[in-house]
Amino acid sequence: MNSHFLRRLGAIAALLSLVSLAGAAPAIIANKGLEKEKIDASTLKAVFLGKKVAWDTGGRAILAVLKSGPVADEFLKGAVDMSSSSFNNYWRRLAMTGGGSAPHVFEKDEDVRKYVSDTPGAIGFVDSASVDASVAVITLAP
Amino acid sequence: MRTRRLLTVTSIVFCALCGVSRGAIAIGNSNVQIGGFISQGYLYSNNNNLPTEDVGGTWDFREAAFNVTDTIGDHLRVGGQVFEQRFGNIGQDKMILDWAIADYNFSSWFGIRAGRVKYPKGLYGEALDLDVVRPFILLPEAVYSPILRDFTASFDGGMIYGSVNALKGSFDYKVFGGNIPISPEKGVADFYNDAGLYAGNGVAALRMDSVKGAQLVWNTPVSGLKFVGSYSYFTNLATDGPFVGYPVVNLHSNIERFSWLTYSTEYSVGDWTFAAEWQRTGGELSVAAPLIGYGFSEPVGWDGWYVAASRRLGDKFQVGAYYGDNQQRRNFNSSNPADYQHDTAVSFRYDLNDHVLFKVEAHSFNGTYETFNTVRITNPHPKTNNTVFAVKTTVSF
Repeated sequence: MNSHFLRRLGAIAALLSLVSLAGAAPAIIANKGLEKEKIDASTLKAVFLGKKVAWDTGGRAILAVLKSGPVADEFLKGAVDMSSSSFNNYWRRLAMTGGGSAPHVFEKDEDVRKYVSDTPGAIGFVDSASVDASVAVITLAP
Repeated sequence: MRTRRLLTVTSIVFCALCGVSRGAIAIGNSNVQIGGFISQGYLYSNNNNLPTEDVGGTWDFREAAFNVTDTIGDHLRVGGQVFEQRFGNIGQDKMILDWAIADYNFSSWFGIRAGRVKYPKGLYGEALDLDVVRPFILLPEAVYSPILRDFTASFDGGMIYGSVNALKGSFDYKVFGGNIPISPEKGVADFYNDAGLYAGNGVAALRMDSVKGAQLVWNTPVSGLKFVGSYSYFTNLATDGPFVGYPVVNLHSNIERFSWLTYSTEYSVGDWTFAAEWQRTGGELSVAAPLIGYGFSEPVGWDGWYVAASRRLGDKFQVGAYYGDNQQRRNFNSSNPADYQHDTAVSFRYDLNDHVLFKVEAHSFNGTYETFNTVRITNPHPKTNNTVFAVKTTVSF
């Protein structure tokens, strides 16, 4: 009975861990030059919507985004309250009408991370598991 | 055709060589971005010429645009876009400068844009040509007359803009002023030519002193819900040309102040997007041929509104529908089809990939308001009911 219970518990734990792996956990990353920049939710939203184009500590804000996927969906919903499709249309509209410089789009976490690491003023998002020491991880100010 | 093919190949090569941005292509790691689109459609109209060359079908339904943008320093952005269209006999594939701006963004709440600037009006005023941002081929004519595209797309002047957080949402504002270069080749001329005041090919000269206006967008605390108010007006919108009753005499017209007031709302929830807009235009038209003592004055303008809904079906498909109503304001008679136009439209969109889309659309028009009868758009005997089918494909990069 006990071993049966433990087997079932193990199966549930394995299932939960799979669900957890499938869940998106975006991390906001920025070029290391932005470590002193104070970024709150409002600033993040203004930057990702192209309303704020320069950092308070200097330098142009340059966006790097994942093209699609659960991490992109989760981040965009939380940061700008948009679906990937709405965000895509929003920026197409701005870029094609003289309203802004579009975000740089990448297929993979590694490409976003490398671009952000190499580009002063760059900010982006990746799966938290893909973060490394080459970039600054942004914790939103209250 | 050869140019079109060349542009398509060029865009594909750029896509392959460069980093892709959302709505534009970045050149390497620089801040230079290029973008554009090429579209080709087919329009079929069964009873009236609306506004193809003749009743029936036409391939003269296309657009192309190409833009370049760069950033200089932290706050300055410069860029421009060329555009060409063929919409029946309007546009004639002539390349025009659609927008060319220098934009200095001081902060999120204050920026200045100057040059040839897109004209903010309603939900789609700045994005009239962007097939990629909507399921519809033709925007509701009640608010976005395709005849006026080349007239109301942009203006030469300046704009201040910004965004302010308030009421648990945000307010985006734009205040602008300048003028719009106009000429008899533009579609707006047919509004005058349809009135039957000018002889021969119609109005010979059009001009205006200025356009001024403002737009306020309230991004509400309700996710996906926004309200937009837009107001603008032209001063001294004037025309000259040979008077139809006596062609050697010049007929002059002037509208001292022609205004556009538009209220809009859009609500996006899940895969659904709902939109509604109402627009009132108007002014006092004065017409005079002083040499022969002819003249009169009368109010002109129209009221238009529509409601629209669209739904995404997975990543590839989107369906949409709208109902629009447009009617003239002066002496409106609901039993006279020439005084109104009702438009029921159903659209279907398929995205082959991020760069190529296809659309199919059907319209049922009732009423003949703004169904012109001019040299370019002939409708000597317009019928009350008209069905329009449209197909269109767009390549964007």
